[in-house]
Amino acid sequence: MLLFLSTIRWQDVIDILLNSYILFRLWVLFRGTNVIRVLAGIGLLWLFQRIAVALGLIVTSWAMQGIIAGAALIIVIVFRNEIRNVLQAKNLRTLLWEFPQKGKRTPTDAIIEAVYDLARNRIGALIVLLGKENLDETIQGGVRWDGLVSKEMLVSIFYNGNPVHDGAAIIKDNRITRVAGILPLSMRDDLPQYYGTRHRAAAGLAEKTDALVIVVSEERGQVVTVKGNSFDAIHDNLSLEKILDNHLGMTCRDNKDPRPARREFLTAAVACVLCMIAVWFSIAKGMETLTSLEVPLEYMNRDPHMQIVSTSINTVRLHLSGSSALISSLRTDQVKAKLDLSKAVNGQNTFILSAGNIVLPPGLRLNRIEPPDVDVSLDKPVLKEVPVQIDWVGALPEGLILESATVVPSQISVLGAEGIMEHTRTLYTEKVPLDKLQSSGNLTARVSFDQSKLSLASGAKSDVVINFAIGRRPK
Amino acid sequence: MQTARYAVALLLVIALTAYGRADEPPEEEARACKLVRAVMCESITGYEPKYISVAFSIRAVKISCYTSFDDVSDTTFVEHKWYRRDELVTVKRLTLKPPKWSTYSSVQLREDDKGPWRVEVWDARNQMIKTLRFSVTD
Repeated sequence: MLLFLSTIRWQDVIDILLNSYILFRLWVLFRGTNVIRVLAGIGLLWLFQRIAVALGLIVTSWAMQGIIAGAALIIVIVFRNEIRNVLQAKNLRTLLWEFPQKGKRTPTDAIIEAVYDLARNRIGALIVLLGKENLDETIQGGVRWDGLVSKEMLVSIFYNGNPVHDGAAIIKDNRITRVAGILPLSMRDDLPQYYGTRHRAAAGLAEKTDALVIVVSEERGQVVTVKGNSFDAIHDNLSLEKILDNHLGMTCRDNKDPRPARREFLTAAVACVLCMIAVWFSIAKGMETLTSLEVPLEYMNRDPHMQIVSTSINTVRLHLSGSSALISSLRTDQVKAKLDLSKAVNGQNTFILSAGNIVLPPGLRLNRIEPPDVDVSLDKPVLKEVPVQIDWVGALPEGLILESATVVPSQISVLGAEGIMEHTRTLYTEKVPLDKLQSSGNLTARVSFDQSKLSLASGAKSDVVINFAIGRRPK
Repeated sequence: MQTARYAVALLLVIALTAYGRADEPPEEEARACKLVRAVMCESITGYEPKYISVAFSIRAVKISCYTSFDDVSDTTFVEHKWYRRDELVTVKRLTLKPPKWSTYSSVQLREDDKGPWRVEVWDARNQMIKTLRFSVTD
């Protein structure tokens, strides 16, 4: 478990938390609407798709992927109103961190009393109580009203002599926003024969939106509530109150006891985090991939009194595994191979390479190191005076001959491992071209040597002066 | 009896000492040469080096190491060890005769022979007495 946790990077934690918050905000903004239900459906499809991929069901996973892509497009088209409401109606603060403000309490008592007054008097009525969805485009026509809800107001709106009595009154929070609204008619053919246009209009709106519609029958004085596809005949005040409370509970909660709301938010937050952890594991950990990388082996903590004479390798090939996202973003400078030589002795040493020698970015695992061991030969450095020889190249101009050449200094003190110094007989200058030499003189040249094996003794210089004599070639 | 034993032991020591000395070259013989001249040249004409240089064109085809000795007390030898970039290419053993002697060794040049060379002159006592450095160029 600890080993597993050690592979989690801080970026992964931020990744999960950030996406959990985005998911949570989406839930907060769209809760109570059909968007959430469709999103849940898409989430379920995505889960099936992952399972299909895991099981190697190629066509199924391909089909699921297509459906998800299509569904995402459909969501944008079908729920454009809801999405627009969220993005337009709310300010940035609301969008990012604020919780929806509680609407003003709808006076259900006034509505109930008005409904029964209307029913008793056989006055037909159609009352729409909005849900979360915006119905501006669904309800046609009507007259803007914007009056406070009261029993008297409702009764007077539907009074037969009132010019706006024919149509629906729309209630949002504690206000009647519109009257004489024209609702879309339902095309259902399973409605009872005695349901007239008013009932059909109520059914048409309810099946398209999340609104609750109360219908008062003019002929029978019967009260029916319609929500979704269900009709509920109301026989008493209590059942109407219960239905109203249930409906308004979505948008208008009681201020006095915020605990259930908090509990709901907390549950949703936890669910979002768990959901995102599952998604993250599916994407980041589920798509494990392998790679191999060749990195230079760094030799460290060598005894300063000893020199590395030879090593069996200078690079190691590392076989790594991790999520494809991590592997694809991996840079060679993020991986290091180090060998501690603090315990090495003079002569030949063999070290077994292990995970302790390798530095990897979090989230990646080391599977294998090639080669598994390394031979390092150490030697004590010695000082030696080594003769310097000129490395002439090219050719003198025709008719000239290089009669003599001397190097000052003729020898240079260099420091190197004993074994190397034994075989170092000469130091050569860099290549000195002959082509441009016309007469005797001198020039400066640098002595070149393998600086990984040899170093100049203190005070020694790598530049030498070459004195040369050029004569005419005798015929 | 005691005296006879000491006499035999003494004779044995003398005999072994004499045997050991007979194997070693005489010190005078090993020392008996003095290098007076050592040069690299393109050719030898009339026992003298010609076209002495320290950088030879590969077109020279052949190069020689000329050495001249004085005070050669007895017949002895020297060795010319030819190195290209510290890699021993050939060793030429050359005889010296009293009282003065000049001798040389040569190598044929090939295209791959370009680079820095040296010839070490070693005496019979296996001591290096001279190093000549030169280059083979275009």
